[in-house]
Amino acid sequence: MTSTGWTVPAPVAWVLERLPKLPPAWLFAQALNTVLAPRLDPELLAALAGRRVRLRVIDARVFADYTVVGNGFRALGGSGTPDVAISAAAWDFLQLARRAEDPDTLFFARRLVIEGDTELGLRLKNALDALDLPPLDASLLAPSRVFAHIGARFFLRSSPRRADPGV
Amino acid sequence: MKLALGPVLYYWPRERLLAFYAEASSSPVDIVYLGEAVCSRRHEMRLADWLATARRLLEAGKEVVLCSQALVESESDLRALRRLADDNEFRVEANDMSAVSLLAGRVPFVAGPHLNVYNARTLALLVRLGATRWVPPVEISRAILTAIAAERPANLEIELFAYGRLPLAFSARCFTARHYNLQKDDCQFRCLDHPDGLPLRTSDGDRFLVLNGIQTQSARVYALLGEVGALADAGVDIARISPQAERTFDVVQAFHAALQGQRPAGASVRELAGLLPAEPCNGYWHGVSGLEMVA
Amino acid sequence: MELVCPAGSLPALKAAVDNGADCVYLGLRDETNARNFAGLNFDVAALDQALKYAHAHGRKVLLAVNTYPQPDGWARWTSAIDLAAERGVDAVILADLGLMEYAAARHPQLRLHLSVQGSATTHEAINLYRRLFGVQRAVLPRVLAIQQVEQLIAQTEVEIEVFGFGGLCVMVEGRCQLSSYVTGESPNTAGACSPARAVRWEQTPRGLESRLGGILINRFSAGENAGYPTLCKGRFEVAEDVYYAIEEPASLNTLELLPQLARIGVRAVKIEGRQRSPAYVAQVTRVWRAAIDACRANAARFAVRPEWDAELRRVSEGRSQTLGAYHRPWK
Repeated sequence: MTSTGWTVPAPVAWVLERLPKLPPAWLFAQALNTVLAPRLDPELLAALAGRRVRLRVIDARVFADYTVVGNGFRALGGSGTPDVAISAAAWDFLQLARRAEDPDTLFFARRLVIEGDTELGLRLKNALDALDLPPLDASLLAPSRVFAHIGARFFLRSSPRRADPGV
Repeated sequence: MKLALGPVLYYWPRERLLAFYAEASSSPVDIVYLGEAVCSRRHEMRLADWLATARRLLEAGKEVVLCSQALVESESDLRALRRLADDNEFRVEANDMSAVSLLAGRVPFVAGPHLNVYNARTLALLVRLGATRWVPPVEISRAILTAIAAERPANLEIELFAYGRLPLAFSARCFTARHYNLQKDDCQFRCLDHPDGLPLRTSDGDRFLVLNGIQTQSARVYALLGEVGALADAGVDIARISPQAERTFDVVQAFHAALQGQRPAGASVRELAGLLPAEPCNGYWHGVSGLEMVA
Repeated sequence: MELVCPAGSLPALKAAVDNGADCVYLGLRDETNARNFAGLNFDVAALDQALKYAHAHGRKVLLAVNTYPQPDGWARWTSAIDLAAERGVDAVILADLGLMEYAAARHPQLRLHLSVQGSATTHEAINLYRRLFGVQRAVLPRVLAIQQVEQLIAQTEVEIEVFGFGGLCVMVEGRCQLSSYVTGESPNTAGACSPARAVRWEQTPRGLESRLGGILINRFSAGENAGYPTLCKGRFEVAEDVYYAIEEPASLNTLELLPQLARIGVRAVKIEGRQRSPAYVAQVTRVWRAAIDACRANAARFAVRPEWDAELRRVSEGRSQTLGAYHRPWK
């Protein structure tokens, strides 16, 4: 891969920018909780607890904020200042998650930026690198697994309220 | 506590160096370090010139030590080092492991600030190889020095870099030559134009570092005059003053006065403040970033 | 000639082994090694798994314990040596004299490598480590021209390992206190150059700024390739000229020197980058394995293939490469 695989087309980005942020962010948090949280070092989860981590998808012109509460990720609303902001294009985020690309390589090429608490960002990156399987592994992301997980959470708790979508 | 004059780290013309050491011979320093510690291309003084200077200082009652280079690369560097090691007239300060290798078991030597000694076991080993004095790395803190000094072998002296721009790094590359778009092998000896090094600023305009050929120094001046009592408590026997282009012997006088208790330390510190060529710093001694000044 | 590859995590080690590394070097999760970064490196369980995986594939694991122990942490460093000996690490890479003495006395069977952090630039220095501790290999600092490496090798029985690719320390390794001057932590004492806690990146109207301990290191305009936030790769002002006063962001790449390195008797080539991800380790190891095999098959006809060069350039700091000190005019 010598260049970006694809970018989110500008008109799509225009639409994405205007969509309410939380539902997709919430869905993504659920995916993280299914796929990632159980495999992460408790020390890392502790370091992320209460910190606002922003993922900014540059070409889609959207961002979503997350934090860790207990052993799980939770999407955060509002526009508080993030403790660390990680910015890249959608394709590059995907390459990172598939472990097909090295973050430093993307950073040298100005396709990845970590602003704010660099150490927290680095810690997150190193923790993902240390996972035995790539963070985005096909078998783990099988739709049935994700939906089973989400479903389980839905039925175990009262139905989610928009005001508190991270539950 | 004794006072030592460290080697001149810059490239000064021969006449300037000779005048500087003539002044040193009548100054209150006890020990004088001679020789070129930085760059093997510098040749205003040959070994014979250094030895002649050393003898004059010896006659004036000074102890003299000859410095080896911190970075030894080539066969010709090694030949120069062998000449230094084979000269039994003066003690040698070893600044890399090649020098230690050539001196070990043969003659007593000074373990210089560019050897990496951060614990008592390494120090004890160097003492067994013949080190009689240790100059710790400039980044050493009071806490670490105190702990190592507590376990030091008998008869080992400790000398601490107590004044001057900090020699922070060495490279194979010459940054002064690079500034002038010259190759190191054809540097035209541009260091001669910069008796206090070539200042480097951040893009914000802060005075940050000083380029001195293959050596990089701090722009700020390490100044432990206010700490002489603490130095003694930590086990330091000798305070090293690293020559700067201007007013080095005024600085020597200020340290001398403080060490002799001729005036309160506070007064000496205020006097020193007027002599500094740049902002002071003392962070390393206090275990924080080197560039900080801890009150 | 052995290919020695970096690993900051178990997946990186597997990537190195799977792509043809002969040896993988790694460190423990503390300041006993010179890449002491949050979340990087191996705990005991991961070390055991690393050894099992590498040894099952007939490869070696080298443990870097290459920082300088300080009085209050001495036991931490000696435990790292004891651990290496107990668990069957193939060699330890050490810099500190006292620690080497400990290792040689306590574990005479443990193979000792002299780390690049030991700053040994001559055969005299290296032979001293041989005499004192029986050191079997030395990693050369990136300061010697290739002719100087050749002369050195001719005068020592210690195996010589050189850096082949990766991040380039422009300062002599083990001889640089720039990082502690600004952050209080240096490679020698804390195992970190430019620790992440002191690094700040900020997108400003004037460009992407990097600061270390508040000191402005660089400002990259849009689209300009970036480098690590280390002081030696910063853009500074000297005599009213703003430029890379010490070194441009660039990685060392000696692929074209491979036949010469083999001819003069270099025993191992090291790839830098324990801080990087498994993807980098796989990419770089694959290229170097192919190149070493091609060189071994026919050194006279060895040529760097364009795709190797492109692959290495892409992962290089600032996407730029240098032969460093091997090429004399660089100095």
